[in-house]
Amino acid sequence: MDPPKSAVTSLLAAWSKGDPAALDELMPLVYSELHRIARRLWNKHQQGNTLQPTALINEAYLKLAHAENTTFQDRCHFFAVASTAMRQVLVNHAKSRLSAKRGGGNADVPLDELQRAADQEATDIVSLNQALEALETLDPRKSKIVEMRYFGGLSIEETAEALGVSIATVNREWRLARSWLIREMRGESS
Amino acid sequence: MNAGVPWEEVESLYYKALELPVQERIALLASAGPALRQEVESLLEADASIELLNAPPIHLAADFLNAQPGALLAGDRVANYQIESLISIGGMGEVYLARDPARKLVALKVLRRHLSANVQAADRFETEARAASALRHPNIVTVYEFGKSGAGLFIAMEWLDGPTFRTVMEAGEVDITDALEWAAQAAAGLSAAHAGGILHRDIKPENIMLCKDGAVKILDFGLARHGKPLGPDPNSMGASGTISGSLSGTLLYMPPEILRGEAATVSSDVFSLGAFLYELFTGRHPFAGATPLDVLEALESRHVTSAASIRSAVPPEVDQMILRMLDREPDARPSAQEAWQVLRKRKNPAGP
Repeated sequence: MDPPKSAVTSLLAAWSKGDPAALDELMPLVYSELHRIARRLWNKHQQGNTLQPTALINEAYLKLAHAENTTFQDRCHFFAVASTAMRQVLVNHAKSRLSAKRGGGNADVPLDELQRAADQEATDIVSLNQALEALETLDPRKSKIVEMRYFGGLSIEETAEALGVSIATVNREWRLARSWLIREMRGESS
Repeated sequence: MNAGVPWEEVESLYYKALELPVQERIALLASAGPALRQEVESLLEADASIELLNAPPIHLAADFLNAQPGALLAGDRVANYQIESLISIGGMGEVYLARDPARKLVALKVLRRHLSANVQAADRFETEARAASALRHPNIVTVYEFGKSGAGLFIAMEWLDGPTFRTVMEAGEVDITDALEWAAQAAAGLSAAHAGGILHRDIKPENIMLCKDGAVKILDFGLARHGKPLGPDPNSMGASGTISGSLSGTLLYMPPEILRGEAATVSSDVFSLGAFLYELFTGRHPFAGATPLDVLEALESRHVTSAASIRSAVPPEVDQMILRMLDREPDARPSAQEAWQVLRKRKNPAGP
């Protein structure tokens, strides 16, 4: 008999065998774990935190999958799911941030550089997310590559492994996807 | 985007073109049909700005980690409610604008999970939910539901849009007709709470809201008690037991008997309401002082100047009633209902 695997690892296995319901079960776990980690990290280092999304995802994975013995491949599959969750987290955060701005109330608060950069990224991400939804209908794999590279902060190699394609394919599709998105975002603003 | 061109052709030509030196690229593109060519050219043009998407949004990620620790985000769910946005963060938790399953807006107060483990905080939260949900009145905030979710304890309440009276009074002198109308509504709310057997115990302008539709609502039943007189409550002196800046705000509305350590009764709420009404009509607080000690002395012994002597437009019977509400002797104060009747008559002098 197999030793009991963690729920996350079994769900990942089911999902990579093509069971879409597994993803529905997996996503809330990943999403709430990302939230939880973010909360705890906030308590640890309150100031000047420039943690990368990848660090969050890595930590979520270690927690969820009890991952000492898991393979690079397992981890890459998890990253694919976590990137989607990360996209949700960041897009929702961007929207909250922007709507808080519109709501006013705390005007005239001087913004430091980090705040301004975050504002800019919030605006960019909301329009990128929209363009990405359009790309998803045209070419789902390219949209997934962007999700993993941009929102998940994953390397070309990790992205290739998770998607089961060659590094060369990820390289060129990543490039085309970015060109397409940039054109789309410009078209929307002009 | 040109919908007429198959995406596979666009892809294939784009990849080929990228691998070629500029001269050959131009020649390659020239050999393609005009629609395909235009499509690929515009993509190659965008390629020049490609570094825009190279770095992940780390500032936003950092901001997410820093700015709203544990706060819920738009789209998150708490029981049957979907979060729209964060309204405020306080020591006791967060207040969100959210939607119920019928898409109606509600105010969702969430006690953070780490505070849910704190018995005193959880108790206060539950007190608020139970006290306010026992009451249904147009001048009291309506509580829809109290429960527990993955995010912590929550209270779903009527969504109210408007400033608190602290903000209203800071904006400048209040018109007498408005003051009479608002005072009558506040007294009606308190009277209904007392009729329902609930003491509020924390009546102050910060806890009374003026909604955009003109309705006055009493909020925050976090310190409420069922009407039977209770012994002295250490909490009434503030959580830390020290007289801090924030306590002195509350102190201004604290009746002398509470300061003496006696039990709160309905008359204690009436005193606090009286202090608020005095301020509403005159723009001055009856027991204002430079330090908490001055305020304590004023509450104990300062003679209260009549509101009409500060603002002559205050009607005499209202002036008298406010002075009676501020009487140091609890038994000498009118009931909230009596105050409401005086204000209601004054508001519509011609009415029944």
